[in-house]
Parts: sequence; structure tokens; C-alpha cells
Amino acid sequence: MLCTVPATLNRLIEQLPRRDRSALLAASQTVPLVLGAVLWQPDAAVRHVYFPDEGFISLVTAIPGEPGLEVGMVGREGMLGVHLALGARIAPLLALVQGAGSARRIGAGAFRRTLVSSQALQAQLHRYACVLMAQLATGAACTRFHQVGPRLARWLLMSHDRAEAAQFRLTHEFMAYMLGVRRAGVTRAAGDLQRHGLIRYHRGEMSVLDRAGLEAAACGCYAADRTAYERVLGRARAP
Amino acid sequence: MAASPDPRKNQLLAALPAVEWARWLPALEAVSMPLGHVLYESGMAMSHVYFPTTSIVSLLYVMEDGASAEIAVVGNEGIVGVSLFMGGESTPSRSVVQSAGQGFRLPGALLKEEFNRSGPVLHLLLRYTQALITQMAQTAVCNRHHSLDQQLCRWLLLSLDRLEAPDLVMTQELIANMLGVRREGVTEAAANLQRAGLIRYRRGHITVLDRSGLEQRTCECYGVVKKEYERLLPVRTAR
Repeated sequence: MLCTVPATLNRLIEQLPRRDRSALLAASQTVPLVLGAVLWQPDAAVRHVYFPDEGFISLVTAIPGEPGLEVGMVGREGMLGVHLALGARIAPLLALVQGAGSARRIGAGAFRRTLVSSQALQAQLHRYACVLMAQLATGAACTRFHQVGPRLARWLLMSHDRAEAAQFRLTHEFMAYMLGVRRAGVTRAAGDLQRHGLIRYHRGEMSVLDRAGLEAAACGCYAADRTAYERVLGRARAP
Repeated sequence: MAASPDPRKNQLLAALPAVEWARWLPALEAVSMPLGHVLYESGMAMSHVYFPTTSIVSLLYVMEDGASAEIAVVGNEGIVGVSLFMGGESTPSRSVVQSAGQGFRLPGALLKEEFNRSGPVLHLLLRYTQALITQMAQTAVCNRHHSLDQQLCRWLLLSLDRLEAPDLVMTQELIANMLGVRREGVTEAAANLQRAGLIRYRRGHITVLDRSGLEQRTCECYGVVKKEYERLLPVRTAR
């Protein structure tokens, strides 16, 4: 489970066999993830990949002249830069730090070299790509069919899992941007969740008060994503 | 009888080096793929992967309540069953034939073996996976922000790129299922395109009359996906 392990090491790295893990860690340096920082611009060559230890990053599909949409979220359970492991140099996505923390950062070249010499890392990242695809699939359907209320609840749970803290900083604009809806819609939905005692939102500080209640308020897409992750990556643990 | 089907009409198969091609050929099995045929239900373990040649397969995400939305299309440029070699084991989506035609299938175990040889097949399939990921992300944002007219144009163009003739056999109900909207919406959008002289729609047959007109009317999502496929995959035949 995401919450029972102390928040020290990225889970994908943690699950690697010792030798592969050491090689990856040796190639990496720990950097802070600063709230609101843009780690990648769409279509720009990627200089670093990131394995968050704490905090989380949003993958946003940006459309010129329109609000974007968050299509994926990467925290301690994942990595930013899986497309490098798939042989692409650039990706048409914006990567934005949404929960402050820290990450292991590795230069693109060093990452490729590490990858070539580690079968375990390759297999791990291929599985992670499956999880990411499952998240994209759920997301595509979720944005199509579900109301902003359940989507907000889902999104808060995803953030909560990755923040590994009961509180995190958020603005209404930011939530609206992530969900691809108007600000007024998010304000109303957040007000509803607050009135039901599920969250407290005060001066940009979001607190989850009733996690079980929030899970009940979220659409099934939250549980679907979690199941997909646990099915593909949940069991494997390094000795 | 039509001439015996040619596996090299699938661009991934066509891109195989001679050695791999010789190994695969005896195991490739021609299959006919009728409209509406379900290759895989979501959650199913996959025994084969499919390489469409003249057919198009739609990957649909199915929600708990049965509603579905298309997350990607796969035609002669691709392969159905990515999660099999990526280690996801079962597929998170339903694969349905959206345009009838031919294809080839290969036993999953054999493909996995080829993938694990870490040769050209691995790289080809990984790059395809990255292109598919981009298509999924773009579909999600398109679902959220773009008009049904634009989405229908995108959908027609994606289909057209994968077909040999500008004709699609398609019911409005199927299109509605793909796009995750009500049938009336599709009827209206199709009528708009017909009035504008871009398509002719008659009894389940859509003929594209003005391709560049569709390109002008669609959202940029079509271009983003096309560019990514061109960047990552073997050269496509110019149309």
C-alpha cells in the first residue's frame, strides 16, 4: 500500500533488485520539487527524468488558446520520463509540479545508459507504462462522462495518495485547470465536499478530513486506477 | 475470393528486418475482422496480438455502468495487445473492430519472446507504445474541450488515414459509442459536415468528399497525434 511505507524512496526504484537500484541511485541526484515549477515544456527535448520520492507532478496536455487538461499524475509510485524508456526523445506534454517534495533526477543520457544495462529497470518501466496507459484510459472516459464533483473527489484522492500528507496547497484556478472545467464549477464542487465534512479548504490549504467519505464521493475511476496499479506493479518487491 | 491478404500491409510487420520476418511468417495467421467484432473484453488475458491490415480496431474504455468511450484507434500502422508485451498481462480496454477488413494475429507467447530478445522488435514496439500513449492523452483532452463536430472530424481523419478508400461503413450508433455521446449528437454533427460538403452519409456509408475541409475543421488534436506517429514510427506511405 502506498501509505504504509515510509516516504523515503521512490517506489519504482525501491522495487528494483539491489544492484540495479544502486546503479540508478548512483546516476541520480536528489533535487527539490518546487510547487508550480514547470519541469518540461511540451515538445522540448527532455534533459532530465524524475523519480519523485515525495510530492507529485502533473502531466498536462496543453492546447494553444485553451485550458489544458491533466492526463496523468506522477508521485512516489511512478516516474516522469517513461517515454525515454520507450525510445522517444520528446513528449507533447507539460510537466508541472503540483505537490512540493523531492525527486531523484537523472540526466537523459545517463538514464539511457543505466536503462541499457538493467533488464529489471526496463521491465519495471514497461509495466509502469501499462499503468500510465490505464490511467489515460480511465481519464479519457472520466472526463467524458463524470460530473465535476466526483471528478474533483477522485483528483483529491489521487493527490492525497501522492502527497502522503493530509494537507496540501491548492488554488481554485489550479484545480479548474487540472480538471479542465471553469473555476466556478470547481468552487461549487469543493463547497459541496466541504459542507459534507469531507475536506477543509482554507486559504489555499486543502485538508482531507474524511478519506472514506471522499472515496464514496469519487467516481469509480479512482478505484479502477488503483486496481490497475496494484495488479501490474503492486506485488513485485525487491528482496 | 479476394487476393490472399498481405501481412506487409501492416506497417509494423512491413518494418521487420528479414531475420525477424522469416521467423514470424509461419506463425502469422490471417484473420477476417468483421464490423463490431470484439477481439478482447477489458480485463481479459490475451492469447494473441493483432496486426490490422485493412481493418480498424477501436480501443474503448468501458465504465462500470456500461458506458464506453474510445481511447485510441489502431489500424495498419499498429498492433492490438500492447499490454501483453509491456507486462500489463490483461488489457484495460475493450477492442472492437470499427471498420471491417483483414488482419493478422500472432500468438502472444511468441511475441513476448521476440520482445525479450531486446532487438529491433523491442524498439519498434516500444516506439509504437509511445505513439499510442500520445494518442490516448490527446483523446482525453479532446473529449473535454472540443465540440462534437471537431471530434467527429478528428475521428474521420484518423479512420481515413488507416483505410485504402475514402469510404467507411459505419452506423451512427457505433460512432456514438466510440465518441461516448448520444446518437442524436452524432446525427447532428454528421449533418453539419454533410451540409458543408465534406462528407456524404447514406445508410451506414460515410464517404469523405473533402479531406482538406475536414482537416481545417478539426481541432489540433488530429495534427498532434499524426505528428507523433510520423516521428516515432516507420515511414508511412504518403496519401
